[in-house]
Amino acid sequence: MSDPNTTSDGGTVVADESLVSRWERIREREATVVGLTAIAVALFPWLFARAPVVSDVLLGYQSLATLILIWGIFAVGFDLLLGYTGLLSFGHAAFWGGAAYAAGVVANNVSADPIVMVVSGTLFAVLLAWLLGFLSLRRGGIYFSILTLAFAQMLYYMSAAPLAFLTGGENGLTGITVTPLFGLFHLESDLPTFAGELLGTWLYLFVGVFAVLAVAAAYRILNSPYGMVFRAIRENEQRAEFVGLNVWRYKLMAFIISGAFAGVAGSLFTIHGSYVPLQSLYWTESGEIVIMSVLGGTASLFGPIIGAGLYLYVENIVSGVQQLTVPFTDIVLVNDFGTYWHLLLGLVFVVVIWVAPRGIWGAISDVREFVWDRVGGDRR
Amino acid sequence: MSILSELMVILLNGLQQGAIYVLLAVGLSIILGTLKFVNFAHGALYLIGTYAGLFIALDVTLSSGKLQEWGYADIGLGWGFLAALILVPMLVFAIGLLMERLLARSFYDRPDTDQILVTFGLAIVVQELFRVLFGSNSLPFNQPEYILSVIPVSGPMTLPIVGQFPRWRLWVIGITAVLVGLVYLLVEHTDFGLVVRAGTRDAEMVRLLGIKISRPYLVVFGIGAALAGVAGVVGGPLNVVNPTVGMDILVPAFLTVVIGGVGTIAGAVVGGLVIGLTQAALIGLPALTIGSFTLNFSPWAQVGLYAIAAIILLVRPQGILGDEEVAP
Amino acid sequence: MSSGSESRSDAPSLLETRGLVKEFGGLVATDDVSIDVKRGERVSVIGPNGAGKSTLINLITRRLDPTAGDIVFKGDSIVNLKPHQVVQRGISKSFQTASIFPDLTVMENAEIAALAAENGEFGFNFLTHRDKLTSVHELAENTLESVGLLSRAGTTAADLPYGDKRRLEIGIALAAEPDLLLMDEPTAGMSPEETQATVDLIEEVKEELGLTFVLVEHDMEIVFSVSDRIVVLNRGRVIAEGTPDEIRGNPDVQEAYLGGVEL
Repeated sequence: MSDPNTTSDGGTVVADESLVSRWERIREREATVVGLTAIAVALFPWLFARAPVVSDVLLGYQSLATLILIWGIFAVGFDLLLGYTGLLSFGHAAFWGGAAYAAGVVANNVSADPIVMVVSGTLFAVLLAWLLGFLSLRRGGIYFSILTLAFAQMLYYMSAAPLAFLTGGENGLTGITVTPLFGLFHLESDLPTFAGELLGTWLYLFVGVFAVLAVAAAYRILNSPYGMVFRAIRENEQRAEFVGLNVWRYKLMAFIISGAFAGVAGSLFTIHGSYVPLQSLYWTESGEIVIMSVLGGTASLFGPIIGAGLYLYVENIVSGVQQLTVPFTDIVLVNDFGTYWHLLLGLVFVVVIWVAPRGIWGAISDVREFVWDRVGGDRR
Repeated sequence: MSILSELMVILLNGLQQGAIYVLLAVGLSIILGTLKFVNFAHGALYLIGTYAGLFIALDVTLSSGKLQEWGYADIGLGWGFLAALILVPMLVFAIGLLMERLLARSFYDRPDTDQILVTFGLAIVVQELFRVLFGSNSLPFNQPEYILSVIPVSGPMTLPIVGQFPRWRLWVIGITAVLVGLVYLLVEHTDFGLVVRAGTRDAEMVRLLGIKISRPYLVVFGIGAALAGVAGVVGGPLNVVNPTVGMDILVPAFLTVVIGGVGTIAGAVVGGLVIGLTQAALIGLPALTIGSFTLNFSPWAQVGLYAIAAIILLVRPQGILGDEEVAP
Repeated sequence: MSSGSESRSDAPSLLETRGLVKEFGGLVATDDVSIDVKRGERVSVIGPNGAGKSTLINLITRRLDPTAGDIVFKGDSIVNLKPHQVVQRGISKSFQTASIFPDLTVMENAEIAALAAENGEFGFNFLTHRDKLTSVHELAENTLESVGLLSRAGTTAADLPYGDKRRLEIGIALAAEPDLLLMDEPTAGMSPEETQATVDLIEEVKEELGLTFVLVEHDMEIVFSVSDRIVVLNRGRVIAEGTPDEIRGNPDVQEAYLGGVEL
């Protein structure tokens, strides 16, 4: 997020302490969070793909910016379940891929309107999450992880062979032609004038709106009674039950809500690529969302988005770099990085789980708290 | 072929497929039951077993991967299959011990999710390490023809009723039966097994009785690992050999444990049989034709495995042989 | 709530167990246990280790299913309810260990309990900002005030000293304004000072709220000082029942406690 010192205080000279604490108060407000997210979403593609100097260093491009937002939506929803409710699902590919297929099938057979696609994909994911949640939540803890994994694999094999007439089997679902938004705007074409320079395509705007809505919805959920109950379940499920909460139904709701986020993201993925690979249902996708969320930092709103961005950035850009050097020097860190990146990622992941389970966002929070203490902000 | 002989073939194929799952599930299940440790890296041990078995048993020439680039393309020892069958479990046993000491031990007191995540990370590391070293390509793992140059283990064999059946598949069933039987005796009928079983029930109490439980735990981990290694060796010639096999086999192995019920060897065997037979039946049953509509079962083979699991867990959440009172 | 504290025999039953049997495998943990708790009464359940006290509590809170028998609360059988439904009916439980939500603040701990009390076992209010739930916040504040933790509302619960965690735990159990509070060894693992503080707290609760409670406790001193009536269990059976004075002189009870040492 942005630097605290940039907040203006209306011209009057205010002591450091009150500035900091005032920022603390503003920061917590819903409108602030959503507004800053919207600004970040609006600036991101320009900075990433078009801004002078910055984009040259980053080597980013428009379609990757869109993809990062899509996975970001997925990650926000996933963290509601993993970070806040404490349930580790290894089957979220079912909702991501399931929604992607549903949106694609609807596009090919009913309507390829992007909004219809998102709505039908999300609806499918919600129904599926309700069913799989009902089955998987019968057992707690590790069994939940194993069962979600198993049921998602079942879906993968279903679309691989028996349902191939609908899903295209091994080849994935092809032939999707998304129609213009509201019948007017071609998603792949650039936005007019200034907006085009900033945001790029209509598709990015479309995805960006969903991304901001996703953050707003997640923020609201976390500050609703559900947010409290989810954390209570994570902290002490038995106690939550013994204050009189129907823990089972709240867990099912957490699962369905996070399935809905995955559904929105999966549908957008189909619109983005006009194609659904069979791989999107495979359990490695579930593994990827787990890795993104954990690396970015669970139990935070923005950590998983950062994790998603970083993961996709390394996968798509850094992995193409042949020699990874220490910046501004010729010291070679890794030769042939593309071959090793997944191995290095695995090692980093293990280390993060071991020593810094709060991920990147946890580290940022620690640094911020340290600085705050120095500056004199009152945390309590 | 008669209906009876077809059914027998399905039964034997199911036993063979189930056998691999049983070997993996017994290890997973005792580790889960005694140590309350979830090992998502168990598939990686299978992966190590398969590759190690291949390299010990046969002469292999790599066609891709870093080893090949570095000029070590010919890496097979060609010592024969029996050597692999003896050496691999020892190797993977040792790896299991290392895994327990270096990794698992630090996570016994951490939440389940951390255990899953860290072992999942380890599984990725092992898989990617193998991909980097030996390439992504599938390697051929030919079935051995003779053990000790005299006992034939490949080719078809004529059985009563069944007719011709691949000899190697019978060996897989036999080896599994012997190994699982040995582990069963170890756990049920020795002092070591008594400590392990008591630890499964109430680790605190065993500790209070003054028994050092960490050593039996270590051994349990090693045995579980060794069984996964054996699964890799005997399963190698029947499945493909590439870096993703470990992850691919992990899911059915876990299902086997969950279906059968955690912590019991008998449960793992029952679970393996259910899964193996379901799979073999769906592959082996002839297509059903009703009027102009033909229902072909074989595409549903993989799906059926998960469907059976779903049904069993709906009826008995604790698994077929699981304890009634599930601890909270 | 209840009025006087004398002559309760004609008062209506709040909680009644009828012939409760619980078998684990071949082992009988409770054997035909029938107890009757009147509204406003303070009943203690005592007995040597393995007497079936915890099993009895777990049966009443519906964590365990009885093999036979019935549990009646406020005139209705609760034997088919789930644990959270039992709490919603008005039975709260305070745990043996301080069972709180460690990473949440003291206020949030109380708010969760208050939410369950105000909002019921479940709701679809996931888009309602919690600032709008003023009644929940007020109830949480009152709860913290009553257990003397309001000044520590912003502290992370895990950072409280053990005695305060215990107070918070009892606060969580009381937030729902239950009709009946079950307390499972509330002073287990406490220092003498903490024990004393807890005894004071129980006395306070007893005086102020006129609450009905069932106390399971090892510490005889506490039991004799706070109970109206004592039920003695041994090997899963009720062997004696009466006022503290009656129990003190009962030879069966002495026998059970001395005999209970053997295992």
